[in-house]
Amino acid sequence: MRALGKVARGLPIEWDGDHYVTRREMVKFLTLGSLLLASANWITVVASKLLHRGSKLERQIGLVSDLDRDGSMLFRYPTEQDPCIAVRTAEGKIVAYSQVCTHLSCAVVYDKAEDGLFCPCHHGLFNLQGQPVAGPPTRPLPRITVEQRGDQLYAIGMEG
Amino acid sequence: MSIRSQGTTLFAAILVLVAAAVVLQLWLLTVSMEALLAGEVKTLVPAAAGSTLLLVVDAGLLRYVFRFDRDTRV
Repeated sequence: MRALGKVARGLPIEWDGDHYVTRREMVKFLTLGSLLLASANWITVVASKLLHRGSKLERQIGLVSDLDRDGSMLFRYPTEQDPCIAVRTAEGKIVAYSQVCTHLSCAVVYDKAEDGLFCPCHHGLFNLQGQPVAGPPTRPLPRITVEQRGDQLYAIGMEG
Repeated sequence: MSIRSQGTTLFAAILVLVAAAVVLQLWLLTVSMEALLAGEVKTLVPAAAGSTLLLVVDAGLLRYVFRFDRDTRV
C-alpha cells in the first residue's frame, strides 16, 4: 500500500488534473469538429450529384396525334412508378414534366384556361416552363426532354 | 499586464470565436441537409464552401494558439 502511494505520487498527472480540459485542448477539439462538419457538407454535395444525376433512358411514350387531340398526354418515365405529363404549348412546342407536384406530391393536370399545370390538392399552378406561379409550390417541376420522330414521341432524358 | 494573463484573455476570445464558427457550420450542415432532401442542389456548394472557409478560420486560430505557446515558452 505504501509502495502504491509512492508510485501514485510519482505519476505526472494528478487525479484532478486528469479531468481538467484546457482552453487549448478545447480549441483543438472544436477545430477537429469543424473539420468533420466541413467534410459532412461536402458529402451532401457528392450525395446530391449521385441522387440527381437525371435519366438518359430513351422510351417511346405515345403519339403526337393523341397529344394534339386531347391537349395533353400522360405517360410514365423513367420507370412505371413515375407519372409524367406532356403538353403542346401555344407556340406549338411539346413540353413534358413530372406529374408529381413539388409541394406534396399530388398529380398535376393540364389546365387549358390557365395555360399551365394545375395541382388540385392545394391549388398550386405551374406555367408551361415548369415554374411555380401560384399556390404553395416553390420548386419547379422536373423536366422531361422529349423528341418527336414522325408521329411518335420519345422521352430521352430527365432534368432535376 | 503579464504575458500569461494576456494569453488567458486571448485564448478565451479565440475559444469563443472558434465555438461561434462551429455553431455556424452546424447551421450550414442543417440547411444543406434540408436542401438536399428538397432537391435544391444550388444551395449545397455555397454552403460547403462557407463551411470550408470557417474551417480555415478555425485552423488559423488554432495555429495562432500553437505559435503563441511556442513563442512564450522560449
